[in-house]
Amino acid sequence: MTTATGNIGHVTQIIGSTFDAEFDGAHLPGIYNAVKIETEIKGLKIKVTGEVQQHLGGGRVRCVALGSTDGMVRGMDVLDTGGPVTVPVGKGTLGRVFNVLGDPIDGRGEVQHEERWSIHRDPPKLEDLSSKTELFETGIKVIDLLVPFVRGGKAGLFGGAGLGKTVILTELIARIAAAHGGYSVFAGVGERTREGNDLWLEMQEAEIGDTGRHVIEQTAMVFGQMNEPPGARLRVALTALTMAEWFRDATGADTLLFVDNIFRFSQAGSEVSALLGRMPSAVGYQPTLGTELGALQERITSTNRGAITSVQAVYVPADDPTDPAPATAFAHLDAFLYLERRIAEKGLYPAIDPLSSSSRILDPLVVGERHYKIARRVQQILQRYRELQDIIAILGIDELSEEDKLVVHRARRIERFLSQPFLVAEAFTGKKGKITSREETIVSFEELCDGKWDHLPEAAFLYVGGIQEAAEQAERLAKA
Amino acid sequence: MAKARAIIKRLKAVRNVRKITRTMELVATARFKKAMDRATQAAAYTKKMSEIVADLSEGLKNSGSSISHPLLQQRESEKKSILLVVTSNRGLCGGYNAAVLRHTQQRVRQAQADGVQLDVEVSGKRGIGFFKFKKLPTTASYTHFEDRVSFDEVDVLAKRFTEQFVRGEIDRLDVAYTRFVTMSRQIAVVETLLPIGKLVGAEPKAATKSKTEYEFLPSPQEILEEIVPASFKARLFKCFLDAAVSEQISRMVAMKSATENADGMIRVLRAQYNRARQSQITSELSEIIGGAAALE
Repeated sequence: MTTATGNIGHVTQIIGSTFDAEFDGAHLPGIYNAVKIETEIKGLKIKVTGEVQQHLGGGRVRCVALGSTDGMVRGMDVLDTGGPVTVPVGKGTLGRVFNVLGDPIDGRGEVQHEERWSIHRDPPKLEDLSSKTELFETGIKVIDLLVPFVRGGKAGLFGGAGLGKTVILTELIARIAAAHGGYSVFAGVGERTREGNDLWLEMQEAEIGDTGRHVIEQTAMVFGQMNEPPGARLRVALTALTMAEWFRDATGADTLLFVDNIFRFSQAGSEVSALLGRMPSAVGYQPTLGTELGALQERITSTNRGAITSVQAVYVPADDPTDPAPATAFAHLDAFLYLERRIAEKGLYPAIDPLSSSSRILDPLVVGERHYKIARRVQQILQRYRELQDIIAILGIDELSEEDKLVVHRARRIERFLSQPFLVAEAFTGKKGKITSREETIVSFEELCDGKWDHLPEAAFLYVGGIQEAAEQAERLAKA
Repeated sequence: MAKARAIIKRLKAVRNVRKITRTMELVATARFKKAMDRATQAAAYTKKMSEIVADLSEGLKNSGSSISHPLLQQRESEKKSILLVVTSNRGLCGGYNAAVLRHTQQRVRQAQADGVQLDVEVSGKRGIGFFKFKKLPTTASYTHFEDRVSFDEVDVLAKRFTEQFVRGEIDRLDVAYTRFVTMSRQIAVVETLLPIGKLVGAEPKAATKSKTEYEFLPSPQEILEEIVPASFKARLFKCFLDAAVSEQISRMVAMKSATENADGMIRVLRAQYNRARQSQITSELSEIIGGAAALE
């Protein structure tokens, strides 16, 4: 092992966002150790932290820079910190905004903390894992009915560009975090800085229930957005996760972890992968894609001490879910929502595809026989409709049998009824956000499948909460 | 590759559909010719018959004669009637059946509102299926009226209807079918065939033309006895012939546009497939090149 202080090496090579440093052969910094460069060159202050990734031999180590390498030159002093990057944890992190290194970036001074934890940690032991399976209500019809979330589980939001992943994630924060007593941690990974800023401001305004306290007081936010180098985006999720882990392990409270966007984590890994000398694998991704993601995802889990419920957005490049990055992410999730461009094009939001989305707990043993049956009926009707679509396109709707015509009739209504006004989209849609209880959702869809509402026009089902609201909207439409 | 293969699968399916629609279009064109000939031939005969009947009854009425025929009599109150629905046995003919059935439903609802007992008789599998699905009762169903209806087959029906009407078991007979007007115009209608007086297109010509004075031999009664049922049969037969022509025309038109739609879809899918395939090749190439470069 290396000594904690005074182990100084020199930069020997800088390639993009990676750099090599040479140390005394007897005192090599360990893998994942943080190394620091702090100098001034020609009046330019340079302060970069790197993370050791490889030992190259001859006393040289290769590091990924967690900050910009701009202005770095060979020969600079590199200090081995003797351990991995550590971040402050504890209640002092609540209400604050951090960067990847755990430094506050909200301009509110030092963070009060008693402990700093390493961002590299082992996942919880097998025996500590919680085996409880409980439903987590969101008040969003399509999610509660077809893709129920698991309390203490992981949910993924898959979608191509511009389908509303971030909007749904923000909505979930507004719904869950606002009604939730525990702590929340938000990780902004490689997404727009502006969105992060919006979210921060929103959280300062939003209140938790009627307590008069603001959501931000129960939330820690960590950002490594798209303007930052790949090293930062590669590690920022771990920083946020470490903070969430403290809440889980130290307080035992239910903790929420939101990640937007986990794909950027894989992408950042692929950006540095070639620079680290790894041979690219399928579609140019790093060969270690599965390992990297596994190491992160396995830590996001619930233990006997406390639960982490996490919602992650996953960007799907070119709308192709077989792309290795989203495909690898699938395996780790309890519930996954797939956002479909065809639905978004119809103007139906949330554009969640009711057929390719699925949840582990859509099972009669967890959600109950009735819920399960209705969910399956809804899917059956929509599936049949999708199968018929080519026939309708070619032959016209008149060629369908009477049964199929009825299926199409209902499917079109169900499709529209799956849309719902969002709390966070009030400013855009002009409609108040609707929270629909699971019971109401089930009853509504049951009646819809039974044909009780066949007489209402299709437009009546757009952007409403329960089925009664659809009836009211139909009346309004009839008057207008 | 998954994407490209899925597109190929759809492409094949659409091609198969196109094959069917194209064939149906050709078959319908051939059948239409024959049905058209039969219908136009019958049309002249039926029209003349109707005219004669109309003229006769008008003439008789004007001459103050009390002679009439039971089929011509209007019933004062309508208690029971029959609705004969003529649909096709086969599908793939666009809105042909849907239009007839829409008119049928109207008539059924109207009968319900008027408190008339309505027996529905359906010809054609499509109509039968519709009534079964809607769980509406039918008293009889026929599937043997194809696109070449023979007069004998219709005669059986016509005789039964006439008898029922004369005996007073029914007060009215309607037929829901598609009337052939021109090549480009066929309309679904519900027409009252019994009592004959209500016949559309059987208005007495006498009013406009110079009145034809008929001399009846052996007697007006006997002639009416013969000609009125014959006219009714001709009308009923004409309904079936019209329906057959309209069906073929509908099918031709529907299949033509279906084939065109399929062609359009094939073009789109083809382009999609080519693009998917190309991008797959590109990505594989770049992977190989990238891999090779990394090894150097």
